[in-house]
Amino acid sequence: MAERLLEVEDLRTHFRTIDGTVRAVDGVSFHIASGETLAVVGESGCGKSVTSMSILRLIQEPPGKITGSVRFKGRDLLKLSEKEMRDIRGNEISMIFQEPMTSLNPVLTVGRQIGETLKLHQGMDDKAAEARAIEMLELVHIPEARRRVKEYPHQLSGGMRQRVMIAMALACNPQLLIADEPTTALDVTIQAQILELMGELKSKVGAAILLITHDLGVVAEMAERIVVMYAGRKVEEARAADLFGSPRHPYTQGLLGAVPKLGSSLEGRGRTRLSEIPGIVPNLKRPIEGCAFASRCPNVTDLCRKVAPGVELKAPGHFVACHHAPREAIAA
Amino acid sequence: MLAYIARRILSTIPVMLVVAFVVFSMLILSPGDPAAVIAGDQATPEDVERIRAALGLDRPFFVQFAEFLWRLVNFDLGTSIFTNLPVTHMIAQRIEPTVALMVLTILFSVTIAVPMGVIAAWKAGSWIDRAVMVFAVLGFSVPVFVIGYLLAYIFALELDWLPVQGYTPIARGFWPFLENLILPTIALGSVYIALIARITRATMLEVLAQDYIRTAKAKGLGTRPILFLHALKNAAVPISTVVGIGIALLIGGAVVTESVFAIPGLGRLTVDAILRRDYPVIQGVVLLFSFVYVLVNLMIDLLYTVFDPRIRY
Repeated sequence: MAERLLEVEDLRTHFRTIDGTVRAVDGVSFHIASGETLAVVGESGCGKSVTSMSILRLIQEPPGKITGSVRFKGRDLLKLSEKEMRDIRGNEISMIFQEPMTSLNPVLTVGRQIGETLKLHQGMDDKAAEARAIEMLELVHIPEARRRVKEYPHQLSGGMRQRVMIAMALACNPQLLIADEPTTALDVTIQAQILELMGELKSKVGAAILLITHDLGVVAEMAERIVVMYAGRKVEEARAADLFGSPRHPYTQGLLGAVPKLGSSLEGRGRTRLSEIPGIVPNLKRPIEGCAFASRCPNVTDLCRKVAPGVELKAPGHFVACHHAPREAIAA
Repeated sequence: MLAYIARRILSTIPVMLVVAFVVFSMLILSPGDPAAVIAGDQATPEDVERIRAALGLDRPFFVQFAEFLWRLVNFDLGTSIFTNLPVTHMIAQRIEPTVALMVLTILFSVTIAVPMGVIAAWKAGSWIDRAVMVFAVLGFSVPVFVIGYLLAYIFALELDWLPVQGYTPIARGFWPFLENLILPTIALGSVYIALIARITRATMLEVLAQDYIRTAKAKGLGTRPILFLHALKNAAVPISTVVGIGIALLIGGAVVTESVFAIPGLGRLTVDAILRRDYPVIQGVVLLFSFVYVLVNLMIDLLYTVFDPRIRY
């Protein structure tokens, strides 16, 4: 097994608000090996974005509070000083965001925004940084890179801007790239192009990717392993094939059932039935007793309402947090 | 761009025309008869009539206005009723102290107020933020002359660090020149600083919540480049707008400040002219102030394109 690049353990990110503490992330653990792609999946508000921001400590503290540990190459990022953290951000771990339209600074040229990271982390001068910025734009397949480098974000389309974001994130050859919903704001055809580009660059640069998304199609395309989150907790973790083939947590099953397939509808039967998950995500402002999914689960029992299930190994490489998930005999 | 500049300069002509019309109408609409004033208490109605004819005040309004405009185009602002000197000459004599005071106040205020607003926004809710806001409220609510007398009392009379009043031309050395202007600059700048600091804080608060600031943080940038490059450049358009509009505030304030500190500038000239009903001088000074105001705001409009590449004319 490859070396563990990032190890997140019992991560909790809570926000203090006027009416109570919001437990956005509540005890999540996972790890990423060098060069691996791990996807964190879940519906809106399940804490996946907060998880990614917590790793780079981009959460305002206060009102936020991050506890647990985030070990990157053996060092706990949560214990580093702000100055040490800055040396890691954009250099060893970089991030691309959901909104390419607003994530670039509108009043600085594309070249300057890419070059800035290089000057900061690699000590390049203006000229070297610009040359490298042009190289990066070519790497992300932006035509006429030499001209584009002097342009401003508003002169580029959404897809191009996300390419610029990727170029910016990869400029310093990071070992980990956190991609928070990188394709959500883009047209479907552009989405495919960006995914293809990310796959291509991953093999070129050799970075591990932490992919945050709610789009299971994107996950199937990119990820080797998947973590499913619900209400700030991890409910299932497995290799992509295992998770799509035999989802064990009722929430994951519901999630996969809710993906429209060709010919599926709410009135359909069997495979073509498009299922929905009844109910809504529980209020994160109140501590959740028992299983977070209990109120929406078809297999709920009294045990689920009282005791929160731990994350257990139910099959090789397949972890599930559910009292009723079947356990497979695991060969020693 | 050049076409735009040309168009903007041309568009100031109608603005100045309206200003000229209003300024000229003052003469007709204001109470008191200038001819009677010049003639003095002992004059007979015939004397007043003679003076009125000599000044051309008996002719129709629009004829007078047309003549007035024609003289303006030839940089002739008329002759002072009181001193019999050309108004342009009187303005030229008094312009240096006022220009010095205004330029110094603008430089001083912007250098103080912008960082103040930026830091207040960055530390929003902290004691620094509250201190800046308290200062801003004070700057707004305490009149310039109160601040002026207070400063003069503390730093000139009690501590004896700076001269109480007066003005030294820059030709007689930079330090004596500056020494006399320090207190007036602070007094005049207080309102202006308050205004700029407030708008800087408000705009920066908005900018700091934007996605691209999060991106800048994720790149590992430190606080200073984030605040003063990434954020401030985005906040520059509203801030510079207020700097321009605030010039009007300074013009009004300069009149008061010059009186408090006995500075022989345009402000004093204006006050004296008003007291003597010296209409040509009042008209000349008001026209000049309006022209400067229009010009400064034109320059700021053009400055927008430097700050924000999305603004193109």
